[in-house]
Amino acid sequence: MPEIAPAGTDESAAFGTYAVKLPVFEGPLDLLLHLIRQAEVDVTDIPIAEIAHQYVEYLTLMDELNLDVAGEYLVMAATLAWIKSRMILPPPEGQEDEEGVDPRAELVARLLEYQRFKEVSEALGEAPRLDRDVFAGPGEEFDPTPEAEREIKVGIVQLLDAYRRVLRGARPVTSDLHGVEAETITVHERMIAVMDVIASHETIEFERVFEVEGAPASRPVVVATFLAILELTRLEAIRIYQGVNEDLYPEGPIRLRRHEVPGADWSADIADIM
Amino acid sequence: MERTRQKQIVEALIVAAGTPITAARIAEIVPRLKPAQARALVAELANEYTEQDRGIEIWEVAGGYQVRTRQDLANYVRQLQKERPARLSRAALETLSVVAFKQPVTRAEVEQIRGVEVGPVMRSLVERDLVRIAGHRDVPGRPMIYGTTRRFLEVFGLKTLDDMPTLREIEELLLPADADADAEEGAPRVGRAGSHEHPEGAEAPVPGAAPDVSSELH
Repeated sequence: MPEIAPAGTDESAAFGTYAVKLPVFEGPLDLLLHLIRQAEVDVTDIPIAEIAHQYVEYLTLMDELNLDVAGEYLVMAATLAWIKSRMILPPPEGQEDEEGVDPRAELVARLLEYQRFKEVSEALGEAPRLDRDVFAGPGEEFDPTPEAEREIKVGIVQLLDAYRRVLRGARPVTSDLHGVEAETITVHERMIAVMDVIASHETIEFERVFEVEGAPASRPVVVATFLAILELTRLEAIRIYQGVNEDLYPEGPIRLRRHEVPGADWSADIADIM
Repeated sequence: MERTRQKQIVEALIVAAGTPITAARIAEIVPRLKPAQARALVAELANEYTEQDRGIEIWEVAGGYQVRTRQDLANYVRQLQKERPARLSRAALETLSVVAFKQPVTRAEVEQIRGVEVGPVMRSLVERDLVRIAGHRDVPGRPMIYGTTRRFLEVFGLKTLDDMPTLREIEELLLPADADADAEEGAPRVGRAGSHEHPEGAEAPVPGAAPDVSSELH
């Protein structure tokens, strides 16, 4: 059985936790093979009562440790209990043909089948692996440095400079003749607008996000849009970046791009955020 | 064309290709060279690398040739890596092993052997281009069937699927305990039976051109 030992380090002791040495199993078959090997018994002649007992003990332990005991472990526990009962009871009347069939046979076949593949997977894991043990060239595309790796996150000073430039160019609030016309702009609204722009462009220049139909936006819109950009960056929906030159100095316009995580669906994730 | 020149081109092509390049593709590019001659030139190059104790080797993988760094230099070359490659979990390796031998195979068939659900791990293997969807099985529900990719062969340094570690027979697993222990030590190895075996089980590259891989890491 796995051992639970008090943690050796003072640090974890201070938190009243225990270091747990619990082997990780790839499922009920893996766990059963482990128990059988540990008991040093023949897989074709498993002492079901003993192994079933240890198996359940292990599941209890997992449960106590708040580890998720997957359903397939419980199914196996039920199977073991069933086999155990079949081993004790005499074969039911009128089932002569079943006599002689070991109730463990099917389980043994599954264990052996699993064991073969487990061995293969272990050998495969040790095989010299590309990019871990052996290395080859980068492949056909002679792409020296991908664009994305040559850009840097923009510093707050550069960003504020750019913002000030946009603000200066903003259209003043028109009105006066008709009194003050309250223009209601919310940051959330501008967030949606920015996302729409980014959704249709891979990347876009910082300044252009502030344009409304090709013309400079009004001051309130500029302020709200800037807050929207900061909020979206905080939410990791977009990234603010700038290119760098050969000497790795920032160069060129500040741009925005989607903050894409490999394997994740950007649009779906963004919809969740908004 | 002069043979030396041809050999230079072959070497250049293998280095520049990066991914495994086939003898047929080499023969297409090099003037007046047949695939069989291309193979001979590659074997010659591989021999030269070995004799000269070079830091690189020519491997035959995924049906083609690839220049790779020596395995005992991994500690050094690794330092060039920008980020650690995502490791493969035991679940991923087990799933790959079943798919490799049972393909085309459905998810349910893999689950039957492994005794656990494999949906998420299968999806990640497909995303990593180690497993591909090979179509649907013509049974009710039309489940998807999966197979391994060329990339799988490349990543694990296999020439073909025949090069997979040995899948032992059930009867073999049932041998008496001591014989079983012996078998466990030496049996499942990468590399075709009868091929030159390295101390660490490293695969021999081009036939007859096995580099002498030393197991010493500094």
